[in-house]
Amino acid sequence: MGDLLVQPLTWGSFLTFTVMAVLFLLLILGMVTYGIYFERKILGWMQLRPGPNRTGKLGLLQTVADVLKLLIKEDTIPSKADRPLFKIAPAISFVPSFVVLATIPYTDKLYFANLDIGVLYYVALSALSTIGIVLGGWASNNKYALLGGMRSAAQLISYAVPLVISAVGVVLISGTMNMIGIVERQEGWFWNWNFLPQILGFGVFVIAAIAELNRSPFDLPEAESELVAGYHVEYSGFRFAFYMLAEYVYMIAMSALITVLFLGGWHAPAPFLDFIPGIIWFILKFCFMFFFIIWLRGTMPRIRIDQLMSLGWRVLLPLSLANIFITAIVVEIIKAING
Amino acid sequence: MAIRTEELLLNVGPQHPSTHGVFRIVVKIDGEIIKEATPVIGYLHRGTEKLAEDLNYTQIIPYTDRLDYVSAMTNNYVLVSAVERLMQIEVPERAEFLRVIVMELQRIASHLVWWGTYLLDIGAMSPFLFAFRDREIIIDLFNELCGARLTYFYMRVGGVKWDAPDGWIEKVRDFIPYMRERLKVYDDLVSGNEIFLARIKGIGRYDAQTAIDYGLTGANLRCTGVKRDVRKDHPYSVYDRFEFDIPTRTEGDCYARYLVRIEEIKQSLRILEQAVEMFPEGPIMAKLPRVLRPPEGEVYSRVESPRGELGCYLVSKGKDSPYRLKFRRPSFVNLQILPKILVGESITNLITILGATDIVLGEVDA
Amino acid sequence: MMKGLVKGLGVTLRNLTKKKVTYKYPDEPIKMPNRFRGVQHFDPEKCIVCNQCARICPTNCISLTGKKNPDPESKVKLIIDTFDLNFEICILCDLCTEVCPTEAIVMTNNFELATYSRDELFKDKEWLAANNTNIREENNVSLLKAKRGGAG
Repeated sequence: MGDLLVQPLTWGSFLTFTVMAVLFLLLILGMVTYGIYFERKILGWMQLRPGPNRTGKLGLLQTVADVLKLLIKEDTIPSKADRPLFKIAPAISFVPSFVVLATIPYTDKLYFANLDIGVLYYVALSALSTIGIVLGGWASNNKYALLGGMRSAAQLISYAVPLVISAVGVVLISGTMNMIGIVERQEGWFWNWNFLPQILGFGVFVIAAIAELNRSPFDLPEAESELVAGYHVEYSGFRFAFYMLAEYVYMIAMSALITVLFLGGWHAPAPFLDFIPGIIWFILKFCFMFFFIIWLRGTMPRIRIDQLMSLGWRVLLPLSLANIFITAIVVEIIKAING
Repeated sequence: MAIRTEELLLNVGPQHPSTHGVFRIVVKIDGEIIKEATPVIGYLHRGTEKLAEDLNYTQIIPYTDRLDYVSAMTNNYVLVSAVERLMQIEVPERAEFLRVIVMELQRIASHLVWWGTYLLDIGAMSPFLFAFRDREIIIDLFNELCGARLTYFYMRVGGVKWDAPDGWIEKVRDFIPYMRERLKVYDDLVSGNEIFLARIKGIGRYDAQTAIDYGLTGANLRCTGVKRDVRKDHPYSVYDRFEFDIPTRTEGDCYARYLVRIEEIKQSLRILEQAVEMFPEGPIMAKLPRVLRPPEGEVYSRVESPRGELGCYLVSKGKDSPYRLKFRRPSFVNLQILPKILVGESITNLITILGATDIVLGEVDA
Repeated sequence: MMKGLVKGLGVTLRNLTKKKVTYKYPDEPIKMPNRFRGVQHFDPEKCIVCNQCARICPTNCISLTGKKNPDPESKVKLIIDTFDLNFEICILCDLCTEVCPTEAIVMTNNFELATYSRDELFKDKEWLAANNTNIREENNVSLLKAKRGGAG
């Protein structure tokens, strides 16, 4: 795939790209379907109940049934809502979360784009989904939706800052923003993976990532028991499915990013386990991050909006700045020692 | 030019996942700060007190089940004890012990419902299921005893309807250590959780004088340091034979109410232990005339329900149905404090404070 | 600082391996204890049309009529003609079974009463007579005391 990208564009290679992209989109949709299924199953098991188990064998067709139900629902738009904005908001929310998946390297051969500014591109695009949420909240002509939209704008903007700054620590160690380069630097035993040298950055990044994803314990914008559903309260049918799709695809993208940046990408924990293909290791680490996010949802209560703001600005931001300083100093010292 | 801002009039309820029933609060908010809050009730009013004027005393008891449907046994008891006081009936001891056991189990079940739903409002979804799992054991015990899971209709004037079946007391005895274990698990899961503590410490604070002025009772009063419990101040049934403490805290905020209710579960388990030990033999129903005709007079009987002091004021004119029956419902009185303490709080804290007040709409509206 | 959070995470993780507590209803029927107050069963042979059940019902959901017994030999003067129970308002409180002197109306342990229209909730004598599975053993408490001998 990589060599196809650097050659001049021909009709043949364009066709290959299109087919691969469409296949990937379908694969991601399948992953979202079963991601939702696994979330409900794991949450159920943590709560001593089986989760979905009636539709299809073991409940595997549950999400399919849910999507079918959403598709055949009536498309209601509130009477005084802003129609063009109402219709466009879910799409604005969904598109960036899918686009960022193009920049992540899944193995050393399988990637869609080899950008030298991979990390920066990722962060810039993921901030765009905020617009979709705020638009959805505004265009619904509903006070609850407006409150949810405003809350989520504040939350997403304040947590984007520690997210970027803690990723800078990784960039400092690896010397490049290119994601493939970052992963290649982490080969060897598992203590080479970035989460150990960058433990502070890893902690800050994971917390900021969960806040970016609007997941518990930071799921104020869609606080089910307070604002009834926050910014998507007036959405039903397939528009609502778009928001849900955006959230889950973004969850997949974020877990994949954490795997690439901190958990060693496609490298095995020990060199002698190299015979297992890299994609399997990638998938295992990615699944672990996904499970961790779901585990947090089943356990933690919600943080209040003002506490969330003070956590973001007064705790995470100074920690990530401190992380950069310490990393920079250590990198310089190592460079000086090595001559 | 300054930006013009307006206050927003927001309607919380009557259909809302966190208002514990059909309860409506109209709040005027400025950004996220509440400037004024007005509760609107009456969506569940069923006219129990008026209906009671046509029915004889045994027929009213099923209606009382449905007042505070989360703790039906205490409702049954308050009506039955009012009639017994008016008619000066001596209730047999075994019946009184059964009543105490059942009321304390009911208190635990009601507090478990409160705990699960309060944490669900705050955002954690797992404790709700654990609480209902444990409550299911209590409900199954009640199912074996009196044949219903929620609206028991167990107490009668002069005693109780059914005797405990074989093996029931042993099951109650086995439940006590199981519940103590579960309380430890709940502590691990919730009480030390920093997010949870940050959410409820210092919220909704009021002092003892405010609480007394507004007529609060139950955990809402005991969290401010006032040690008032009907079971100790005006002992009814056989409560004077048991040793138990009244948990109080002094902070007066939501966290204090949380801790008081968890401690009340522990004290209920203590009472249960003693009651199961001292359980006597004997009849379960006093000798009564076929038609109950209390003499003319008025009586007020009170009970410590899980929500506060539940009272029944009965005026009888010598007939077989009451002339006037009035229930002093604790949730109705407890929610009067909301307009005062909600001013200045944010909407998230509204849900937290409402949950900690523990109201049940069946009781608020009667 | 994180200790409480970590303990909570431990609790939910341990629950992953525990046995599930969900009942598999409706694949497996739920067995109710014997005293459960379910839908009533009516035995027309035993009814003596004393009207106690209709009088005691708190919601007035029982309506019944009797007719003269065609059999001149028996001691029973009236036998039951129609017996209707309105399940829209019946609260299953079992006062009717408590007062019936002949245990003609008793409760069963069946609780499934859902229908597709409100008219079907108006049950008549034939339906109630046919509802004879899982009949409760103890119904009229005073008859019970008589069986045991003496009060209590």
